[in-house]
Amino acid sequence: MASSMRAPADTFPKLLLHNARSFGARPAMRHKDLGIWQTWTWAQVRDQILGLAAGLHRLGLKRGETVAIVGANRPKLYWSVAAVQALGGIPVPVYADAVADELAYVLAHAEVRFAAVEDQEQVDKILSISDRLPKLEKMIYDETRGLRDYDHANLHDIGAVIADGRKALTEDSNFAALIDAEIAAGKGSDTSIILYTSGTTGQSKGVVLSAERCIAASLDTVAFDSLTERDEALAYLPLAWVGDHYLNYAQGMVSGFCMACPENADTAMADLREIGPTFFFAPPRTFEQMLTRLMIRMEDASFVKRKLFHYFIGVARQYGEPILNNQPVPFTGRLLYWLGNILVYAPLKNVLGLSNVRIAYTAGEAIGPDLFSFYRSLGLNLKQLYGQTEAFLYLTAQPDGQIFSDTVGPALPNVDLRIADNGEVLFKSPGMFVSYFKDEAKTRETMTADGFVKTGDAGFFDSKTGHLKIIDRAKDVGKLKDGTLFPPKYIENKLKFYPNIREAVAYGDDRGFVAVMINIDLTAVGSWAERNNVVYGSYQELAGHPLVYDMLQKNIEETNRSLAEDKVTAGAQVKRFLILHKELDADDGEVTRTQKVRRGFVAERYAPLINALYDGSTEAGISTEVTFEDGRKGTMSARVKIRDVATVPAAPTIGRAA
Amino acid sequence: MSGPAASDIAAGEVLLSIENVSLSFGGVRAIRDVSFDIKKGEVRAIIGPNGAGKTSMLNVINGFYQPQQGRITFKGKTRSKMQPHDAARGGIARTFQNVALFKGMSALDNIMAGRTLKMRRGLLWQILRVGPALNEEVAHRHRVEEIIDFLEIQAIRKVPVARLPYGLQKRVELGRALAMEPDLLLLDEPMAGMNLEEKEDMSRFIVDVNDHFGTTVALIEHDMGVVMDLSDRVVVLDHGVKIADGTPDEVKKNQDVIDAYLGVAH
Amino acid sequence: MVAFGQFLEIIISGLLAGVLYSLVALGFVLIFKASGVFNFAQGAMVLLAGLALVRSLDFLAAKGFPMWTAIVLGLLFAAVIMAITAWLVERFVLGPLINQDGLTLFMSTIGITFMIEGGAQFIFGSDVYPLRLFPTDAWFLFEKAFDGGILVNKLDVWGGMIAAVLVAGLAVFFQRTKTGRALRAVADDHAAAQSVGIPLNWIWFIVWLVAGLVALVAATVWGTKLGVQFSITFLALKALPVLIIGGFTSVPGAIVGGLIIGAGEKLAEAYLGPSIGGGIEYWFAYVLALLVLLVRPQGLFGERIIERI
Repeated sequence: MASSMRAPADTFPKLLLHNARSFGARPAMRHKDLGIWQTWTWAQVRDQILGLAAGLHRLGLKRGETVAIVGANRPKLYWSVAAVQALGGIPVPVYADAVADELAYVLAHAEVRFAAVEDQEQVDKILSISDRLPKLEKMIYDETRGLRDYDHANLHDIGAVIADGRKALTEDSNFAALIDAEIAAGKGSDTSIILYTSGTTGQSKGVVLSAERCIAASLDTVAFDSLTERDEALAYLPLAWVGDHYLNYAQGMVSGFCMACPENADTAMADLREIGPTFFFAPPRTFEQMLTRLMIRMEDASFVKRKLFHYFIGVARQYGEPILNNQPVPFTGRLLYWLGNILVYAPLKNVLGLSNVRIAYTAGEAIGPDLFSFYRSLGLNLKQLYGQTEAFLYLTAQPDGQIFSDTVGPALPNVDLRIADNGEVLFKSPGMFVSYFKDEAKTRETMTADGFVKTGDAGFFDSKTGHLKIIDRAKDVGKLKDGTLFPPKYIENKLKFYPNIREAVAYGDDRGFVAVMINIDLTAVGSWAERNNVVYGSYQELAGHPLVYDMLQKNIEETNRSLAEDKVTAGAQVKRFLILHKELDADDGEVTRTQKVRRGFVAERYAPLINALYDGSTEAGISTEVTFEDGRKGTMSARVKIRDVATVPAAPTIGRAA
Repeated sequence: MSGPAASDIAAGEVLLSIENVSLSFGGVRAIRDVSFDIKKGEVRAIIGPNGAGKTSMLNVINGFYQPQQGRITFKGKTRSKMQPHDAARGGIARTFQNVALFKGMSALDNIMAGRTLKMRRGLLWQILRVGPALNEEVAHRHRVEEIIDFLEIQAIRKVPVARLPYGLQKRVELGRALAMEPDLLLLDEPMAGMNLEEKEDMSRFIVDVNDHFGTTVALIEHDMGVVMDLSDRVVVLDHGVKIADGTPDEVKKNQDVIDAYLGVAH
Repeated sequence: MVAFGQFLEIIISGLLAGVLYSLVALGFVLIFKASGVFNFAQGAMVLLAGLALVRSLDFLAAKGFPMWTAIVLGLLFAAVIMAITAWLVERFVLGPLINQDGLTLFMSTIGITFMIEGGAQFIFGSDVYPLRLFPTDAWFLFEKAFDGGILVNKLDVWGGMIAAVLVAGLAVFFQRTKTGRALRAVADDHAAAQSVGIPLNWIWFIVWLVAGLVALVAATVWGTKLGVQFSITFLALKALPVLIIGGFTSVPGAIVGGLIIGAGEKLAEAYLGPSIGGGIEYWFAYVLALLVLLVRPQGLFGERIIERI
């Protein structure tokens, strides 16, 4: 499955050295600290990483050992990844907001001896579970605050480790040669990283990726999108997520572009504006939130501004996408759009930080068609991609000129896609994983006899465009009692396109009809409440408000009408719904760290409500245990109302509505 | 001119001493013959039921009110009349119960205002903004950014404080007081109106300020849990009179204190 | 073309006259911004400054000093007089009244007015004293384009330039300097300002001093225009509509307000006068101010007044 491109190196550390040689003066990494942006060039980054590798060697890190990386996007943690790889070790990134139990499982499973962490919070977390981690010996940390008085026998400041390493390198040329040899000894077939997937069912699995495959996949996509060392990206999504490692670290190493780390999670959107990246990725949720915030601020703007905004957004809806897709557009259209750009679109993109973005991607879940075309109509080259950790992200991506809101694109060059008989999508790709760490059985289960990987997603190739369309998780596509197809994700996505609905969970498998539990979006509904003088004292109160129920009922009826348009889905219209009294939360285990709903767990926990949905009750009581941010537990109870929704008979297939 | 350096006083020795201080307004006797001291490096809580005279006590220390009787000795120097800005000059910084921020400025500018006393260069230098004045401005900005980092308020540094929620306003006010690099930090109900999480954050900041910067802290607080956790010593006031003075444990067991809080007349 | 030329003449002279109103209004704005006190005595301060200046000039000229030296020394002397006044006001009036409400402070400035007016005339005399610092004749511009040219009074032009320099200087002072920032802090919140070490008394002295210097500048221009005499104090009354329109707390507002009134007055007189009857110049400003009060009470640039409880 070799890529058609030749890589200048077969491991990331070697790529690093290559970059430092080829364009050592170009910026490689940025970080906002104490209010100002600091920048390191490729040459400086190489020196830091070599120093860190040398320091880690002196602390006793050996080839083949695993090192946990726990924290947010910070240069020293990325350097730790590279430094560990330089010595032939294997970095194992973990989500920074993982609670102690999750952390304990992954670190024990991966048998880490070292851990590189961000700050005191992570150090404390790991110390609190150290009895479950017999193999863990040393920790290195980035942010010194609060750690001054800790016992430093096995705890070290990364900065000090780097300084120590650099000193040793300059003083001892044999040692320097040793480190160089270690890097040179790296092979393409070595494990480059182990990424634990956030399992929606069962425990996380460690996906083992090899260096040569990572680099091969990155080369393809860098070529696909023409990324060069002059591009800039902002790394703000979790470091432990395959997307971040791929889009920022791997593509960055391969193309040489500059990666910026925000000051902290709260400032990310402001930092986006300051950096003005040329490449941007965000899950549909983030694009949605950006739009919601924008619309809310527009409501408060002066009359003139509002009128201008709405008029030119209308112009963009008409001409924006055709212009972006290089389709013929009348001259007046182009003129109006040009005017709109000066007055509305360019300032809008500027406020969002997207002025310089050449290529923007979204993935992870379906994106609302309105949302998708809104951004494209502003001139933002937003495209969709599809993939998973086991593929080292990319399987499909929409090329420029073939952008549709409801597909995820054709297979990338060198990627083989196949649809199994049961509708499951299978693949073979340059970046595909090697195995699940210490889990031969699961690995075999996930591969077919001829070496294709099962994605676990159900999909089909759209006859019109040839693009892949994803319906749902393969095992989640169920059937109602009468045999009608029940694609829960499909229904939920349609519902989540409404700004008022933040999350939806649909039930119907082996049931008489489809029923839905909904979370309202506090920002959107709260703003509506303010404008309509609806008083509420808490999320729970707002979620139970009859007017809010009315609003959502209309949304669901509209969805039913849309479902009715397609014969396949017409039978899966929603008949009853309720609004949950609290948001589904990762800390309570109800959703994963990437905000994907854990269906089984939710079904168990909210069983009283689900039973009420199906036994005709108009309201039900529920009491749930909740976990606060510091890990303590409490209970929340409520009486939740349930309502019926009108359904629509399936529309005869006359013609496709626009 | 900030008087004798606080470093002349060893940790554990008396930094501020209140002796027989009495304060009245019109017919109201807010403070009656109260004496206590605050030692360098400690966290001293001033507690008591409503109307006990706690804020008045702080106002006296700070110079907003002049006591009719009594002496106040700070860093070895006794003073009679003192204006608030003199207290500031002397190394006392303060936060207010109702948050006294400069409403027209951003969080960053508010904290920078705390550096006022530390700015040296004269008028002309400042207008030209070159050389030493520029370096000074950069140095001050660096200190302020460190405080912003310490209080974890990077995201709101440019936001006008009038738009911030109450809890964050209190944090900015703390930042401004810290920017003065005071010897004594007076906090008037720093946790008022905060939820559990905010209280924990604020407690953490107070502890860190006391631990790492060695700043002596005197705070008025109603939340008993906070008082017991944070303070080294406690002084209890009731109707303007001191009724207890000691460690949190001692004070908790004191019968007069229990009576006062339960409303038993005495 | 004649009508247009006439229009230009009226509007230019109106704008420039407006700038002179702004000069007086600026003094009010400064003090109100920094201490929340409406300084009724601002007009009297202009008189005091003018008298100090013109009398010392006459004195020095009589002693045979060359003109430029006399002017410089005269300005210095007047500045010192204003500084002393500021100190006296702060020490004996504002300081003791530090925590009183706005009305009390306002009444105290009325008292200050009478004291300054009486004191000034007692020390420096109560005649009309002409001041000759600026040329008062006229230019005729664009004589080719317009018949007879456009008449522009040189004094007005000087006044405009000086006002521009003054505003620029004040802007720099407020934004860039430590004292300027301290002034803004004091205006925002007294208690907070004191807590960070800003001495209120000193700041108020500075404010009154700066207001006094602004009064001196106004005095040089107005004194040349009208002669230094008691009626100059009535300028304060003309400044009131300027403040209402521009906002009590805004320096640019004082300028814009002055321009609007100055131009408005002259235009109204010229174009509406024949139909309504003469004398529009006298009441136009106040009617305009009344209308603005009804529509936008805080003025064009002022901050919304929020009662501090």
